[in-house]
Amino acid sequence: MQYNLITLRELVGATLVEVGTENQDIYVIDSDLAKSTTTNKFQDAFPERFFESGIAEQNAMSVAAGMATEGKIPFYVNFAIFVSGTCWTQLRQICYANLNVKMIATHPGMDGSYDGATHHANEDIALMRVLPNLKILSPSNPDELSQAVKLAAKIQGPVYIRCARDSVPNLPAKKQVELGKAVITEDLGDDFAILYEGSTADLAMRSFEACKENGWKGKLVHVFSIKPVDSACICSIAGKVKKMVTVENHSVLGGLGSLTAEVICNMPNHAPLAQVGVEDVFTESGSLKAVKEKYGLTVENVLKKLEEI
Amino acid sequence: MKDAKQLKLLANRNRRRIVEMVYRAGVGHVGGALSVIDLLTAIYENEVDFKERKRARVILSKGHAVPAIYAELVEKGIVDESLFPTFRQIDSKLQGHPYTCDIPETDATTGLLGQGFSMAVGMAVVKKNEGDPHKVYAIAGDGEMQEGQMWEGLMCAAHYKLDNLVFILDYNKLSSSHPTNEIINLEPFAEKMKAFNYHVIEIDGHDMEQILSAIAEAKTVKGTPTIIIANTIKGKGVSFMEHVPKWHSSGLTDEEYEIAMKDLEKEKEALVYAV
Repeated sequence: MQYNLITLRELVGATLVEVGTENQDIYVIDSDLAKSTTTNKFQDAFPERFFESGIAEQNAMSVAAGMATEGKIPFYVNFAIFVSGTCWTQLRQICYANLNVKMIATHPGMDGSYDGATHHANEDIALMRVLPNLKILSPSNPDELSQAVKLAAKIQGPVYIRCARDSVPNLPAKKQVELGKAVITEDLGDDFAILYEGSTADLAMRSFEACKENGWKGKLVHVFSIKPVDSACICSIAGKVKKMVTVENHSVLGGLGSLTAEVICNMPNHAPLAQVGVEDVFTESGSLKAVKEKYGLTVENVLKKLEEI
Repeated sequence: MKDAKQLKLLANRNRRRIVEMVYRAGVGHVGGALSVIDLLTAIYENEVDFKERKRARVILSKGHAVPAIYAELVEKGIVDESLFPTFRQIDSKLQGHPYTCDIPETDATTGLLGQGFSMAVGMAVVKKNEGDPHKVYAIAGDGEMQEGQMWEGLMCAAHYKLDNLVFILDYNKLSSSHPTNEIINLEPFAEKMKAFNYHVIEIDGHDMEQILSAIAEAKTVKGTPTIIIANTIKGKGVSFMEHVPKWHSSGLTDEEYEIAMKDLEKEKEALVYAV
């Protein structure tokens, strides 16, 4: 399949301007990274609804809680490591109170590339998934990012949108994304299934093509809604295909692979499951390509894992 | 608007409710609730109208002192006194820390120290932006000032010149086991806040006249947030609790309950006689 690549991060600001034009209750909170996350576009368009917290992420997250209490819809936009890690207990309070706070977490997984292990958020899905009331969305293309932001604004309660810094296929959405629904991107047979989160869309698609070239006929499934997850879809696939592999820009602990295992584990019979992701290690600095290759996010590794089971 | 004499009587009634609640439930942070109750009573009674759609907010960042809020919400008819034995118990809406899903009037789900003040900043930003004239009152404890997030919030509120934000320090000088300033010294606090560009008012947090005058003064301040440093006594009003760290969190025996209620009854009689 031929497609161009695009960085979703570059669309965050424009998307927020679009929803912020329609809905005057939307505020955006930044922690001195507006240029990197592109929320400076929202700042230019709506300076009165843009709040700069400075490099004080915990304060920023709780400020969002206060804005939500006043009936606003704050979007806290920052690198995934800060949104999910630095202010985890502040977010936990927001989830406990079911406050209407939205987060867009850019640079998930190893997308912080050259910054190294300090800034690689290979734990964000794990950290977010354990919080009751929180919804987690994982867009894989520009349409889905736009739909995810609009969906988040409509949902009453906290929402975490995982937004790739690395490139994803610049393809239109297969269909309108929905909360709690996965997207079956390709369905050629039951030899295998590749399940992926949004930031690994390119790798998952290239892997699927390689499988096709090997003569394997399988399914490609984008787990757009990580929480709530589409258990019915995943179980149905696990009952049909011969083998499954999850592909994630995240630790293999607590992320999409773990989630899939939890979903299928009490089925009497299901396909064996392999996981592609960062093994239980800290990563390092490097270009996006080099880091992801070294830590297992390659077509070869996806095929090898599929062949091993 | 209630005057100081009326508020003193209400604060005494709230003190008896706090003791009753912690005695009936067998658990609870009684000391810090008794140190903050004069301040809370004055603010809730005179500044908050729960019937208004837009209204002043009160954030108890030191959420463990929640018996003080529940006591005042009984006064407001929002919490029923019959729930006191259920405080901190299973299936109760009187959670151990303020929880807005159960009681929205508590304004902020707090408990993890250091977070409530930042929430107040968020509320004040929106109110200021939208021309809502009501104030946001945030109350923190002195031990809570050891949390880093407090200082993030303090810098932020001053930077944005949030003159609709009133920060109140319940300065009872005791944490769960030690004098707070022996653990990590907060002093010189007033000077620190002046350096942060706050309008600083220092009062006796149990003197209702001083509390009312500080609240009134805060309303006149323009271009900077106000801090009211309220010097208080942990366990205030109950003879054997005052200044005793144990009463940070403890249930009462029958005998202790009797003594506490007698102390407070005596105070009430003195107040009634004074009126």
